[in-house]
Amino acid sequence: MPTISIFKDDFESLLTLGGRAKRPVSPVSIEQLEDWLMLVKGELKGHNQETGELRIELQDSNRPDLWCCEGIARQIRIKQQGKLKPYPFFAKKAKKGQSLIVAPGLEQVRPYVAACTAKGYRVTEEGLAQLIQTQEKLADIFGHKRKTVSIGIYQLPKITFPVTYELVKPDQAKFTPLGMETVMTLAEILMVHPKGLEHGHILAGQSRLPILRDAKNQPLSFPPIINSREVGEVRVGDDELFVEVTGTDQLMVVLTLNIFAANLADRGATIEPVEVRYPKNTPLGKRVITPQDLGNSKTIQLKTIEQALGQELGVQVVKQALEVYGYEVSTGKGTVKAKLPPYRQDFMHAMDVVEDVAISRGYGEFAPVMPAQFTVGGLSRIEQTSDRARELMVGLGFQEIISNIMGSPESYRDTMRLVDTEWGRMVEVDNAMTLTFSCLRQWMLPSLLRVEAASNRAFYPHRLFEAGDVAIPDPAHELGSRTETVLGAVIAHATAHFSEIHSCLDILFYHLGKEYSLEPVQHPSFLEGRAGRIVVAGKPIGVIGEVHPEVLERWQITVPVVSFDVNLSQLADLS
Amino acid sequence: MDTSALIDSLHPLEIKVIMALGSRPADTVLETEQLAAAAELEPSQLSMAIEWLLAKSLLVVHAETVTPMVSLTKVGEQYVSGASPIERVFSAAREVTSTGKRLTIPDLQAQDGLDPSDVSKAVGRLKKEGVLLIVQGGCIESTGRPSPTAEAIRVLLQQVNEASRELKSFPEAHRLVIEDYAVKRGNAKEPFRVDDRVTRSFMLSPAGVAAAEHLAKEGVAEEVSQLTPELLKDGSWRNKRFRKYTISLRAPRIGTGKKHPYREFLDTVKTKLVSMGFQEMRGSLVETEFWNMDALFMPQFHPARDVHDVYFVKQPTHAAKIAEPFLSRVTKAHQDGDKTGSTGWKYAFNADRAKRLVLRSQGTAVSARTLASAPAVPGKYFSIARCFRYDQVDATHATDFFQVEGIVLGEDINFRTLLGLLNLFAREVAQAKEVKFLPAYFPFTEPSVEMHVRHPRLGWMELGGAGLFRAEVTLPLGVTVPVIAWGLGLDRMAMVALGIHDIRELFTDNLDLIRTTRGIF
Repeated sequence: MPTISIFKDDFESLLTLGGRAKRPVSPVSIEQLEDWLMLVKGELKGHNQETGELRIELQDSNRPDLWCCEGIARQIRIKQQGKLKPYPFFAKKAKKGQSLIVAPGLEQVRPYVAACTAKGYRVTEEGLAQLIQTQEKLADIFGHKRKTVSIGIYQLPKITFPVTYELVKPDQAKFTPLGMETVMTLAEILMVHPKGLEHGHILAGQSRLPILRDAKNQPLSFPPIINSREVGEVRVGDDELFVEVTGTDQLMVVLTLNIFAANLADRGATIEPVEVRYPKNTPLGKRVITPQDLGNSKTIQLKTIEQALGQELGVQVVKQALEVYGYEVSTGKGTVKAKLPPYRQDFMHAMDVVEDVAISRGYGEFAPVMPAQFTVGGLSRIEQTSDRARELMVGLGFQEIISNIMGSPESYRDTMRLVDTEWGRMVEVDNAMTLTFSCLRQWMLPSLLRVEAASNRAFYPHRLFEAGDVAIPDPAHELGSRTETVLGAVIAHATAHFSEIHSCLDILFYHLGKEYSLEPVQHPSFLEGRAGRIVVAGKPIGVIGEVHPEVLERWQITVPVVSFDVNLSQLADLS
Repeated sequence: MDTSALIDSLHPLEIKVIMALGSRPADTVLETEQLAAAAELEPSQLSMAIEWLLAKSLLVVHAETVTPMVSLTKVGEQYVSGASPIERVFSAAREVTSTGKRLTIPDLQAQDGLDPSDVSKAVGRLKKEGVLLIVQGGCIESTGRPSPTAEAIRVLLQQVNEASRELKSFPEAHRLVIEDYAVKRGNAKEPFRVDDRVTRSFMLSPAGVAAAEHLAKEGVAEEVSQLTPELLKDGSWRNKRFRKYTISLRAPRIGTGKKHPYREFLDTVKTKLVSMGFQEMRGSLVETEFWNMDALFMPQFHPARDVHDVYFVKQPTHAAKIAEPFLSRVTKAHQDGDKTGSTGWKYAFNADRAKRLVLRSQGTAVSARTLASAPAVPGKYFSIARCFRYDQVDATHATDFFQVEGIVLGEDINFRTLLGLLNLFAREVAQAKEVKFLPAYFPFTEPSVEMHVRHPRLGWMELGGAGLFRAEVTLPLGVTVPVIAWGLGLDRMAMVALGIHDIRELFTDNLDLIRTTRGIF
């Protein structure tokens, strides 16, 4: 999840005063900060002593309000102040005329929009950096790379209300986009502008494209691609802003605006709502005032919370824990009625509130208790068989190897002379990053030859084995392949020969308690006449032989190698 | 060291040398060759014995003489049966002069087996001796005189071929020829070689004399190097002396059968988990998105589910079906929460997407399957599962890796028993006494915990993550009791303990490294 960069003095001022006053603030120690970060599931990843830059990773993908300096500071501040001070603008009506009109047709393209104005906060350098970072993180991660949510911020004095959100033909509207010098049509932006190239696919197949324009028909932006350079470039020193969010999910769009409104308010801005007028009804109505508090209260049984946490707390303790975490709480007899603050919308289940109680109180407040119920431990049958076989192989003087299961068709099939043979079928992946890791091994010998090929300087003889999983394609299986555990072994030295590995197999099977026989087999990886199918109870479960010199040559191995592969899963099933 | 202890330490070869000198009159001095004959030893045996005795100060070097010796080189040996360049040039000149043909120096240089520099040297020498003339057109003619050099070379080749000889045993004229035609720096292609033979002569030191007297008086029990079945059978070991070994030498290397150090570590973890009452689960390397993610309440739009995070199987692309009632229950849980008490993710669940085959990306997929298979309550389960992530392979990212994961089901499971279980893991698996619990986020658990431990040797590190499975996970799979889901991040701990800085080395192909890496516990 996101890692953000914040500045310590900016954070401290937001923490102490909500960013509103200019009184000196008290510095925060790094130990104190790390302790506080538990409240926001944050981890300090780096601290630059000189610049005061802090890099913080936020874990919770359902809490986009925390992916910014303001949000982190807010969560900690509420705990210190005991309660969230309500934001007044959520109760306000939009000023007359401060409206945003949505034209018909957008429901097929990018249906929803939310907006507000922010006055009285003079944008500082750090504040601007945070504004841009929050915009990027929210659009990228929460907004799925702008597909569901994207954000635009503008210089309010240049805008005349009402603003319209409408559709135009790609060459009907033009403006100078951010980062460019010349006027371009929407079609040109999609073809030429870096942001057009990056995000244009979101609008693929649309004959008409979304545009925001003000009452004087001046373009503000081409959502979700790019802002106008004339209106949509915020600079240090600006103190009147217009913020809009567009997207495909109305609740996410409004929530994103709520987060921006709260952030700007924390820095001292006065937020004025905007009334969004849709042509048809939406989940939030036809006329929607934004920002808007979307939170519903949920009533939760105290018993549910106490059982989940394994501790009796009482309603007052729960109420207090939730209030200092930002909730609005009222209590009943054995119940707690909780409402999330307006910048959060991550309530899905009572357990989400339970976790907030635990985080708010601190995990250290809960004494660990051992689960008392008795259970019997044990290994699966295949693991027992595998462990027994591994122990015998060690006794036979073999060194154990572990290899990647993922590899290349070249090493698992081509160099083994198995192209177009029954032994050459493998599970391959569709989206391989490189051919080197593009399929799963179907047998063990190549994994061992990999080590052999790299180890010609290690003193001989080499006796290697690996017991591990392979994937064998099987159209009859529900997953298209079977995962089975295979034991592979090789012996390599100047005079390695069949009977040496045969003796090992013989002892192995004797002690595994299995009768086996060898049947001649023509297997391309082995010398003809020196390879056998290992048969148990009439079923082939492996292969043994002298590795074909052409195979050795392809691996650039210069000593003879003899080997066996035994399918332990099938062997275990035969008893 | 007293004399008898000294004698016990003597090798049979050393005894032979001491006796050879000691049985002769006092202060006898013998040269190497004489000593070899007297002691009846091969030159190599003698030289070993001499070095040992010198080291023990039983023998002293009386004198050292340096004698230049003449012998044939490989080239010289070829000239014995063939002809040397000077002989070939000489006879070629004779031949052309008698037949009237023309022969130039380049002609000679082009002849098979003749090196241009050899030809130049031979022509120069023969011309100086008045044997050759160079006439108009650069042609060679014989004057009919014999060449003393060519003749001397022939004689010397024969003589030295029989045996190498001292340089000073040759007459003056021959010595000059030898010096001209001997291998020296910058001219390796000559028939003769002159080497300095160093001859040393030896006599016994006073301690050597004492040893010889002791040996003469006491006699020597026959020394053997190896106790054999024969010696044991006939009891003759009683009359033998067993040579003492220098036991401070390094042992010769042998190959050994051994578990892989990382696997040994995982085996220890496995044993610990079984001893704590955990039953092992196994799963498939290939899974459906359903069991890998949907059943774990990860919404289908979750960022960790896209093509840059998970490997998709090429063929077949989809499983035929997903078992019911799990598919419909999970679908509803995602859409509106169904009967789980959840609001759900509120999107249209795609059943086809659920069937998409992927490489298992998390061990929790194995736990999901177990939840759906009517597990025991109370029950504890674990798996050590190979998982695959779409990551650029580097020092901290492997394409496939082990995840140690599991679940605990029971009526008494809650947040505090979760912490209790993690404490147990910290103590048993990491031998840690100090533990920190931090709030964490996983899509399938609530509350979620991250556990950091202070390892006795390795310091603070993240040991794992855990939480209580969400009702949206357990209820659709038919489990009505609370369930702990836990996972331990053991790769890093194993790497630090094994002294590895690159995760790829856990699966290294370097046999020397695997053979020499010590296990962790």
